Amino acid sequence: MIVCVHLPRFELVAAAGGPEALTGRALAIAPSGSGPARVGEVSGTAQAQGVQQGMMLGEALARCPALELVPGDPVQVAHSWERTACALEGIGAQLELARPGLAYFDGDGLRGLHGGDDGLILATRKALARPARIGVAPSRFCSLAAALETRTRRVRRVGERDVRRYLAVQPVGILSYRSQTAALVASLQQLGLGKLGALVKLTAAEIADRFGEPGTTARRLALGHDTPLRVRRVEDRLAESMQLEEANSGLLLERTLGVLVDRLLARPQRHGRTVRAITLSARLAERGTWRESVVFREALSDPRRIRLALSQRLQLLPAPATALQLAVEEFGPAGGDQGGLLDGEHTARLARLQDAVGQVRTLAGPHAALRALVVDPRSRVPERKVLYAPWQQ
Amino acid sequence: MRSSTIARPPAPKAPKPVRVQAEHGKPVAVAGVRVEEVREDWIVEDRWWTEQPIHRHYWELITVAGRNVVVFHDKLIDRWFSQTA
Repeated sequence: MIVCVHLPRFELVAAAGGPEALTGRALAIAPSGSGPARVGEVSGTAQAQGVQQGMMLGEALARCPALELVPGDPVQVAHSWERTACALEGIGAQLELARPGLAYFDGDGLRGLHGGDDGLILATRKALARPARIGVAPSRFCSLAAALETRTRRVRRVGERDVRRYLAVQPVGILSYRSQTAALVASLQQLGLGKLGALVKLTAAEIADRFGEPGTTARRLALGHDTPLRVRRVEDRLAESMQLEEANSGLLLERTLGVLVDRLLARPQRHGRTVRAITLSARLAERGTWRESVVFREALSDPRRIRLALSQRLQLLPAPATALQLAVEEFGPAGGDQGGLLDGEHTARLARLQDAVGQVRTLAGPHAALRALVVDPRSRVPERKVLYAPWQQ
Repeated sequence: MRSSTIARPPAPKAPKPVRVQAEHGKPVAVAGVRVEEVREDWIVEDRWWTEQPIHRHYWELITVAGRNVVVFHDKLIDRWFSQTA
């Protein structure tokens, strides 16, 4: 049985400074710097006045003039979520972390450890140390539906035989929790398909014809079929951070980044492993934090390439930073790619190219093959940007 | 058989002389094609401290044929050139 743990308004609680800060206040996470101005998670009071997550800021303020906007704090959210995940892993759960505030684990192997279903739920609640909605069902999607339906401090269990019947009466809005099917929700609702049961009544061919792959995935989920959990590997958490004397951006921040990369790669806990993904986070000079996850095209251990990849993301910082942190999200294999001692293919290709250049020059003179050299790409005089230089044999 | 030798090509973005019809300094036709719209114009003064100073008035134009062309008027020799920016 899959256990779904849902901590509602996780990001808002972290950004507002605790659950008590939400009591009686109409709060919403302010829109982030990039993209359309849409509010993030909203408090219960704001929701009661018609404000919804993802609503345009103007509409949200029109519906609730007393709405207070809280800057998002992705760094605090990540720390808080990591603590929660570690606490759950402490009871033996192998977690799939869907997003901050939503996690799944397989409870079958843990029942004996904690004295049955009730013991497992009790251990989960103790580990969370905060009110949570818990759903238990044979599939991940069904357990999510159960967790969303139940009230905080309650558990909703769905048996093997009841899955289809239970899911049939659930709203299609649950599909928005899955990235593959999120885009379908609005279309389904516009077509009058409000419940998952209505979706199941259509044949697989009809759905595939109208909605393509996302539609068939949605139908499969509504029938109670789901993919296995993708549990995260428990690894050492490696992180390096630096407080800056004054708020920095641009080149100065890139230097700091270079130092952090060198420090991170020098840590003995790395055991020579390459790095596959890194989280880059910063505390901003203005209020708030910024966080960006960077997945490298291939696992790296070359500081120059890591710096190059990360410095691109640094350009996205919405304000100067007062602190910078690098944390390894996932390690790759040790050593990385080991090229051959003699790169025969590359050498042969270069030799063929040199040969071709030589032949062209022999036929048409020394100016037949030249190298275009970018000398001053920002020059206001176009002909000074690129020059032809002799091709080095 | 040896073919003829290729001369050194001009710089990749070297200006090319072009016939421009102008009214009060503003281009109205480029190589006989009427200008539909002036998108932008700017002045470049550079290397005035050398013996080869640059003093150009650039015009980014849309012709009636739909082409986007950049021409400049060399103020020092009073001639028009086209150039890719």
